[in-house]
Amino acid sequence: MFCIVSFLVLTVIGIFSASYRALAKEAFDCVLRRVTLRPCNTSFQEKMKAQVTGQLLTRSVRAAKLFNKYFEVLAWVLFLSTIASLFWTGKGLYNFYMYGSCNGLNKSGFCALDPTGENNKTSQAGGSCALGAGDENKVTLTGVDLSSFATKNIQAQDTVVFIGCFNCDYTRKAYPIIKELLQKNQVNYIFAHYPVKGETTYILPLGYCAYKFDQPKYWQFVDRLFSSNKEDNGRPEYVQQVLKDLGYDLNAINQCAESQETKTAVVKQRIELEKTNIYGTPLIFINQKGLVGPKPYRVYDRILNSFNFFKGK
Amino acid sequence: MKNNLRYDFPLLTNSRSQPPIYFDNACQSLRPQSVIDAMVEYYRDYPGCAGRSMHSIAAKVTQKCDQARQQLAKFINALRKEEVVFTRNTTEGINLVASSLALKAGDIVITSDKDHNSNLIPWQMLVKKIGIIHKILPSLPDNTFDLEGFEKFLNPKVKLVSFGLTANLDGVTIPAEKIIQLAHKNGSLVLFDAAQTAPHQKIDVRQLDVDFLAFSGHKMLGPSGTGVLYGKFKLLEKLEPFMVGGDTVATSTFTTQEFLPPPEKFEAGLQDYAGIIGLGQAAEYLMKVGFKEIEKSELEINTFLTNELGLIPGLKIIGPIDPAQRGGIISFYFDKIDHHQIALILNQSAGIMVRSGQHCVHAWFDHHQLKGSVRASVYFYNTLAEAEIFVRELHKVIKVLS
Repeated sequence: MFCIVSFLVLTVIGIFSASYRALAKEAFDCVLRRVTLRPCNTSFQEKMKAQVTGQLLTRSVRAAKLFNKYFEVLAWVLFLSTIASLFWTGKGLYNFYMYGSCNGLNKSGFCALDPTGENNKTSQAGGSCALGAGDENKVTLTGVDLSSFATKNIQAQDTVVFIGCFNCDYTRKAYPIIKELLQKNQVNYIFAHYPVKGETTYILPLGYCAYKFDQPKYWQFVDRLFSSNKEDNGRPEYVQQVLKDLGYDLNAINQCAESQETKTAVVKQRIELEKTNIYGTPLIFINQKGLVGPKPYRVYDRILNSFNFFKGK
Repeated sequence: MKNNLRYDFPLLTNSRSQPPIYFDNACQSLRPQSVIDAMVEYYRDYPGCAGRSMHSIAAKVTQKCDQARQQLAKFINALRKEEVVFTRNTTEGINLVASSLALKAGDIVITSDKDHNSNLIPWQMLVKKIGIIHKILPSLPDNTFDLEGFEKFLNPKVKLVSFGLTANLDGVTIPAEKIIQLAHKNGSLVLFDAAQTAPHQKIDVRQLDVDFLAFSGHKMLGPSGTGVLYGKFKLLEKLEPFMVGGDTVATSTFTTQEFLPPPEKFEAGLQDYAGIIGLGQAAEYLMKVGFKEIEKSELEINTFLTNELGLIPGLKIIGPIDPAQRGGIISFYFDKIDHHQIALILNQSAGIMVRSGQHCVHAWFDHHQLKGSVRASVYFYNTLAEAEIFVRELHKVIKVLS
């Protein structure tokens, strides 16, 4: 057991220090002999055991004696720990590659490869980034009616639903990534503004009407708001200017936004979005699979195209 | 021993780190600065060939090598310097005799059960190659030489007796003069492996009347890869060359050759001149220190070690209990403690360097059903203070391992 543990540990240390490479080679020889049921002729285990015992002896006879006595037990513990570590490391790497988090899809625990947790951060629903925490496993599109939301490429087989807030940092981080995904893939894209911060709530009816009046211009409108300063998005006169710049009839838009029909539609949309169990933005669904927080491009791409793979595209 | 001799050995006076306690002198000794300087001087000042070219550098190398041969001849009190053949080590010297002595099928060669592999394997090979008979003389129960048993082994077919003069296993020196007398009376030649004797005791080949004697440089302060085979000149003249080629012949044609007289005919090819010069310097150094002083110093330390180690429960000393019979060597083992572990931990925890294993005497250990031993071997530059640390640390190691 000790040979295997030593080989693994020394191989890793050997990457950084040449002096350990010879030991790693010796350990490998020992492992090779053990697995082929031959005796280990390098006395590697004895050498390493003596080396540690000798070091301990300079500090404490008792510690050295205990180490020497329970060496085999310690070797087993180390072996099992190493196997467990390898398993969890492998799982972590897999998860990070697949979902952008070592802990799995939408899991926000500590990840050494993403120590600040950027790939899972969201702006919390309720108006403040610091509020509340949701259940990552409960986000869903089941029972959610998305027919009233802004959409394009409706005929496409795959669907990407982007629920985000114009003034949320993490949504703003995810937005260009999703745009890149849309450029490279034909998908039915649905966008919903979910204002976790109160200062952008007023955009909801304006956006609803902008989409209703001119769909191509609406997507430009969304682009503009995601590329604007957050402070500007909080000023109605700025948004009005954006609409004007895009060629919208401001009077018509404002009348539409003030209408009861629009207000009712916006509330209905809000109710539908709540059914997703959203607790923060961005919340992105790719063919029903919910992803909370801004993930690396590869995660979205892999999920989208693995679906395509299984569909035989 | 005068403590100031330690200052001649760079490893023991290296101010950058704590010097090791080097108790592995039976394997290889340390080198004094004068030996190192002699070798460096060759490479730096006159790095030429000996006995070939005519220029001044070559002449100096020739003169220095000749001087080294004289120093070695004086070291063992040889009749003439031509009786000194430079080899790479003791093993090569023994192989030279084994290969060149023209033994025939049925000739008997006697060795002992304690002989180093270098004085065992060459004869085993001759058993296979030409059908000599190889007899092994068992030691007495205390591991000393069985002179009566030896006498019984002798018969007219015994052409050679070849013994380790001092055993690397336990430090016991055999009764050389008596053995030679008996062997010569029987008409047998005598070859001694003096690798463990030459560094520690005065050897007088003329007084002993030994026929061949081989020893190594690396155990007697000299460079590694150097050694000497002494042979009586008349015997050397009769021996066939061992290795042949460059510098072994006076002249040659496409089909014939005329060999040079000894020692040149045994020294084929370009020699290790730096090593030879260093070896000469080592012999000179040892003669200056004096073997009485060396033996006295070793005995003092070994007596202390024997007295202290003899009190440790379970520790068994190989060979006679009397340290005076074991020179500078104390070899010991425990039934239940691994010898390698002891050596490794001593090195790791206290920088004490001893040998562990079967010391190239596998047959003896296997015959006695022992896995191996720890061997501490001291030399004149070791001190009682070092021996005290060794004993103290050994107690700790045993406590850990038992």
